[in-house]
Amino acid sequence: MIIQELTTIQHEHGYLPAAELQALSRRLNVPLYRLHGVASFYPHFRLQPPPRVYVQVCNDIACFLRGAAGIHDIVQTSAEALGLTDVQIRPTSCLGQCDGAPAIAVNGQYYTDVNAQRITDLLHTAASDRTLRRQRLAPVAYTFQCNPYKGPPTYDTVRRLRQHGDVETVLNELKQSGLRGMGGAGFPTGTKWELVRNTPGDVKYVVCNADESEPGTFKDRIILLHMPELVLEGIALAARVVGATEAIIYLRHEYSRERDTLQKALRQAQVSGFFAGLSVEIFDSPGGYICGEETALLEALEDKRAEPRNKPPFPGAHGLFGKPTLINNVETFAMVPGIVLKGGTWWAAQGKNGASGLKFLAVSGHVRNPGVYEVPLGTTARELIDLAGGLRHGRPLKAFAPGGASSGFLPASMVDTPLDFRSLAAVGSMLGSGAVVAVAEGTCMLELALNVGRFFRNESCGKCVPCRVGSDKIVLLLERMMQGHGSVDDLALIEELSATMALTSICGLGQAAPNPILSVIKYFKDDITRYITR
Amino acid sequence: MPETTAPATVTVTIDGIAVEVAPGTTLYDAAQQAGITIPVLCHSPKLQPVAVCRMCVVAVQGARVLQAACIRQAEDGMVVQTQSDAIQRSRAMLTELLMSDYPASAAASNGHASKTTGKPNLLLDLAAQQGMTAPRFPARPHDQGKDLSSAVIQVDHNACILCDRCIRACDDVQCNEVIGRAGKGVLARIAFDNDLPMGQSSCVSCGECMAACPTGALIDKPLTLPLLPAAPVKTIDSLCPYCGVGCSLTYTVDTQHNTILQVAGRESPVNHGRLCVKGRYGFDYAHHQERLLVPLIRKPAFYPKAVDGVENPREAFREASWNEALDLAARRFMAVKQQSGGQALAGFGSAKCSNEDNYLFQKLIRAVFGTNNVDHCTRLCHASSVAALMEQIGSGSVSNPFADVQETDVIFIIGSNTTHNHPVAATFMKQAAKSGTTLIIADPRRPEMADHADYYVRFNPGTDVALLNGMIHIIIREGLYDEQFIEERTEQFDQLREAVQHYTPRVVARLTGVSEQRLLDVARAYGRAERAMIFWGMGISQHTTGTDNARCLINLALLTGNIGRPGTGLHPLRGQNNVQGASDVGLIPMVYTGYQSVTEEGIREKFERAWGVTLDPKPGLTVVEIMSAVLDGDIKAMFMMGENPFLSDPNINKVKKCLAAMDFLVVQDIFLTETAAYADVILPGTSFPEKTGTYTNTDSRVQLARQAVEPPGQVRVDWHIIADLANRMGYPMRYRSEEEIWQEIVSLTPPFAGITYERLEHQGIPWPCPAPEHPGILTRFTDTFPRGKAKFSPAEFAPAKELPDEEYPLVLNTGRVLQHWHTGTMTRRARALDAIAPEALLEMTPEDMHELGVADGEFVRVVSRRGEVTVKALRSHKPARGSVFLPFHFKEAAANLLTIDALDPYGKIPEFKFCAVRVEKCQ
Repeated sequence: MIIQELTTIQHEHGYLPAAELQALSRRLNVPLYRLHGVASFYPHFRLQPPPRVYVQVCNDIACFLRGAAGIHDIVQTSAEALGLTDVQIRPTSCLGQCDGAPAIAVNGQYYTDVNAQRITDLLHTAASDRTLRRQRLAPVAYTFQCNPYKGPPTYDTVRRLRQHGDVETVLNELKQSGLRGMGGAGFPTGTKWELVRNTPGDVKYVVCNADESEPGTFKDRIILLHMPELVLEGIALAARVVGATEAIIYLRHEYSRERDTLQKALRQAQVSGFFAGLSVEIFDSPGGYICGEETALLEALEDKRAEPRNKPPFPGAHGLFGKPTLINNVETFAMVPGIVLKGGTWWAAQGKNGASGLKFLAVSGHVRNPGVYEVPLGTTARELIDLAGGLRHGRPLKAFAPGGASSGFLPASMVDTPLDFRSLAAVGSMLGSGAVVAVAEGTCMLELALNVGRFFRNESCGKCVPCRVGSDKIVLLLERMMQGHGSVDDLALIEELSATMALTSICGLGQAAPNPILSVIKYFKDDITRYITR
Repeated sequence: MPETTAPATVTVTIDGIAVEVAPGTTLYDAAQQAGITIPVLCHSPKLQPVAVCRMCVVAVQGARVLQAACIRQAEDGMVVQTQSDAIQRSRAMLTELLMSDYPASAAASNGHASKTTGKPNLLLDLAAQQGMTAPRFPARPHDQGKDLSSAVIQVDHNACILCDRCIRACDDVQCNEVIGRAGKGVLARIAFDNDLPMGQSSCVSCGECMAACPTGALIDKPLTLPLLPAAPVKTIDSLCPYCGVGCSLTYTVDTQHNTILQVAGRESPVNHGRLCVKGRYGFDYAHHQERLLVPLIRKPAFYPKAVDGVENPREAFREASWNEALDLAARRFMAVKQQSGGQALAGFGSAKCSNEDNYLFQKLIRAVFGTNNVDHCTRLCHASSVAALMEQIGSGSVSNPFADVQETDVIFIIGSNTTHNHPVAATFMKQAAKSGTTLIIADPRRPEMADHADYYVRFNPGTDVALLNGMIHIIIREGLYDEQFIEERTEQFDQLREAVQHYTPRVVARLTGVSEQRLLDVARAYGRAERAMIFWGMGISQHTTGTDNARCLINLALLTGNIGRPGTGLHPLRGQNNVQGASDVGLIPMVYTGYQSVTEEGIREKFERAWGVTLDPKPGLTVVEIMSAVLDGDIKAMFMMGENPFLSDPNINKVKKCLAAMDFLVVQDIFLTETAAYADVILPGTSFPEKTGTYTNTDSRVQLARQAVEPPGQVRVDWHIIADLANRMGYPMRYRSEEEIWQEIVSLTPPFAGITYERLEHQGIPWPCPAPEHPGILTRFTDTFPRGKAKFSPAEFAPAKELPDEEYPLVLNTGRVLQHWHTGTMTRRARALDAIAPEALLEMTPEDMHELGVADGEFVRVVSRRGEVTVKALRSHKPARGSVFLPFHFKEAAANLLTIDALDPYGKIPEFKFCAVRVEKCQ
């Protein structure tokens, strides 16, 4: 209610005027501080009137590796050349367009692969009050192995379950497949569904986490765009299995194109009657990486600041509004129809190198063809990078992040590590959000660690001390180091701090925030010692 | 849901010690039970845990990461480590992180922190325990800022660790809902409302946030002298001098300067450590430069007394010695008594003075002056409530303590602006509402409490009887009444049934302006409740129908059997801190202590024997009757102790005439009040923190207040002055202490029999308390009522005395604001309180203002048939259209120049809540 109302007010006024907040506070009988707390937490709410041209420049890892550091100046120069006055240029966290790095957003619309000419055109359009068009996509024909349908999707799993009510088969196939949560935590899906199904409760919810926001991560975007029906089918099946009549898709704010696709698919599914007895709502996230943390996401759905909850209790028992709630990632839901229709053993057999199943991986950074690739789980980093055309300009690989910014960096020497849950855990990393970022020789890993550190600092919700203060201290220490004022003691201090952050932070953000710098200390010490005055 | 068989206890092993605890117990509490203390910053036993500081982390066997002990619940078989190396390192690291951003200036006060803020600094204590010297991290480069805008609290955002204690104290304890987190991550700060400066926010300055803050980010601003590490300081446990809630507090006193520095809430069954803005920040009136320090006698040049007083009242008086002043007073009182008899004398005691002061005062009037003409301001507040309660139940006190809101199902509050007038009691009601108790608020002027209510009923002013009869009608019609209770414990039900027959929802809706549906809703909510409580204030009692209003409430409770059990009952919220006690000890013209009637021969004889004099068998006159008798020349001289009828009584112009007309007036007070300006002799009395004595709160709980500072100048303790006057008038009063006076009260008052000073040492005792070991009775009338069976007493709706008309089209309602107390004698001399609320504001609806063409903050003239005042208009959604509200604390715009002195025929209470006025734009 609150987030919806704030969105409406912002839509009308372009921002959230204090008088409107006061009126809303009276109307909803909600204390003003709560409205402000929510409004000031999410990046997509504005408390000040917007400028005429508002440019957000992404400089997170994928964009950074593609030269984003210079974009700010280019925008500024263009604006000056055009004689624009009412322009604001602000850094933004990852826009989820890492395959089109560098990316910017102008007045809320994102644009990829930007250069000086493109930027000038965009500013010109924005300043002349013409509508900024959504960027057109080059048509790509994908065929996905996980899709059990040859032609248009027919929601067969839902239909069958409605006819036969054979829940056990669904659960068995899921367990057989070995499907694990594809959002990062990797919890066995069949077990999760069964848990929520067995938790008593008159009201239950199914939530689809479509809020991938970690730098380098955009696999769900492709799935939502090309297979929204599979995701919806997975959601509908889950609702039926766990006994929920309400499902919510928590969609990251920037995915407006995907929202339209999803909405369309949803309407069709509803018309065709597959969703009888189930209401599905698409919730437009007001922004922030932390919202992808499942309990933070629930807080956002409850109109609060997206601050992760202390666990236990877990959402399966005590989720949205305290009710048992099944939360799965987009990819997890998309995998379900194929598993149920073609069998868990079929799906499991798709893996390689001892892993089972399929996986969508987003590849970005210094590769020739960044994009999303559906591969057997267990595919090595080398194979994947080769799939993406190898490194640009034939540069040698220096490092790669196997599972998004929070997985830290592995050296090129480990490029033959299979990308699956177990193998990566064995080398002290993780499959994480399924984002592989390739880094070519010639890149300063300390600078990269600082880049990622800033992202976590900026995206920390601030709820708990170790993450809020610790993520800031990492940045301050690395900045000091890069200015040549660091010392070896600082490295020890970072390691000491990291241990505390990992042990005491409430959620994964704080626990994982030190990983990048820890991995650089471990594998790329030369890049650090270069800066340290002895 | 099927009942699951939860184990009665779970056993956890903490640091090798097996502890058995109830399910749901946190590891922190379980550890405490095992004698293990875990360090905390954000956790406090009074607040719901949030586990944000992570200082209390412990290792739970099998868990991947450490767990916050304050929030993690114990599970059977859990094995917990609280002190391992990894844990200690983490705690040290967390402390170091916080210390690296902690302002250096504040950190430097390490060791002195508690001495300069008056409360512990948990962060600095932790740093000291860990031997932390210089944090190794770079300090945060950005300045989070300071906020000095509040009159009482200073905010240093740089010292804030975002522990959320203040947020929870504001939200969950005081339920004011002002503070929250704003922004995100490293830039997050606490914020007031929508990030306003604290002083401009909706903060009510209760100070609960400040008291909860563990790091000195929120600290008290000095109101008298600053707290210095070297100052010789003592703390004194006492009570709050303001309202009837009777909060326990602790004074911090600089003994060298004989000055109160600070006030802190103290744990008690009444306030659980909570205070409001008056209690916490309204103490410095005692040190005000205008305190009366020597006795004063009126100069001959200032006779005869001018009705409109003199411009500078102090000039009308000369200083005198105690002997001269007391001799003069004694001589003149004796002369009047000899010439015209005791009936020509009268006295007003004070609901602000202690039981001991007031007992001696009424003894002086009765035994020495020889008259029952002794009263106090209870007449102006709850006399009508008491009249109805006496008639129907046989006792004028509350039936249940307000703390019972924690165990009731429905709270019905009518005619009480509780958050302003009984702020701390209101916190418990708001908390109950938050936890699911149904809250019904009925008031013509929307009180803030309505924000927390399930039902807010706005009814036309003066239609209380119609509204309540309407509820009774519905409850009877729908069979929601308690037949058995009515049968066994009441009488005359048929009369009530008969009387309310024609108060159908349709009729009542027309009279009250409340929709039929809403009437049905609230009647059903109250009628169906297993346990329901009724609270009321001046909105019920200060009407010409005040007694009838109260009767209807009593009828409602009797009808549904909602009295005589915990979580039920009738609670007229008492105004003054000792209005209950003053009445209890006989400051009423009809009764002696413990409501023993002056007309009952046996009782009178008991008092005559004890006091050794013959007593007047005739009940005395009440406050407003005494004033009229003065004008008629029947009463010639008066002694007023701590009363300021000038501002508090209706129709000031009449009061002025009466004060000027008096032959001889002695006023004993702490300031030269508007009333004292008419005195012949002024005696400087002690302020609350300068004396010891007992006070009885709204729950009828007797509590002990202790002297914190020495009286200034030649000021003498009030009861000493009374005793001296009595001695001079030939009646010996010799007491060695307050305690001895209390013992005399107890000897004459059976319900107090078990209450001794010794027992009051730590916490109060509710009366009746008939025996030395008795804990006192909180729930009254469990088996029987003092009059045997309770009586239904139906009332008929009658309109207010002065209805609006063409010439005076608006209804004026008067009352109080949070920051001020009654006539402002104390609060307007409390620096912070007067700074927060410096002037009278006339509340008016935006619609009415628009019609008059008046803007917010513009001056208007408010005119009634009796007088006029000029005030600023305040745009407000609280009053209904056609109504305005004016607080009565401000002598510059005294509301009682306008009010009507029409009286309730039973309680003799004036109609402060309703008169017709017109508002004019000032040109």
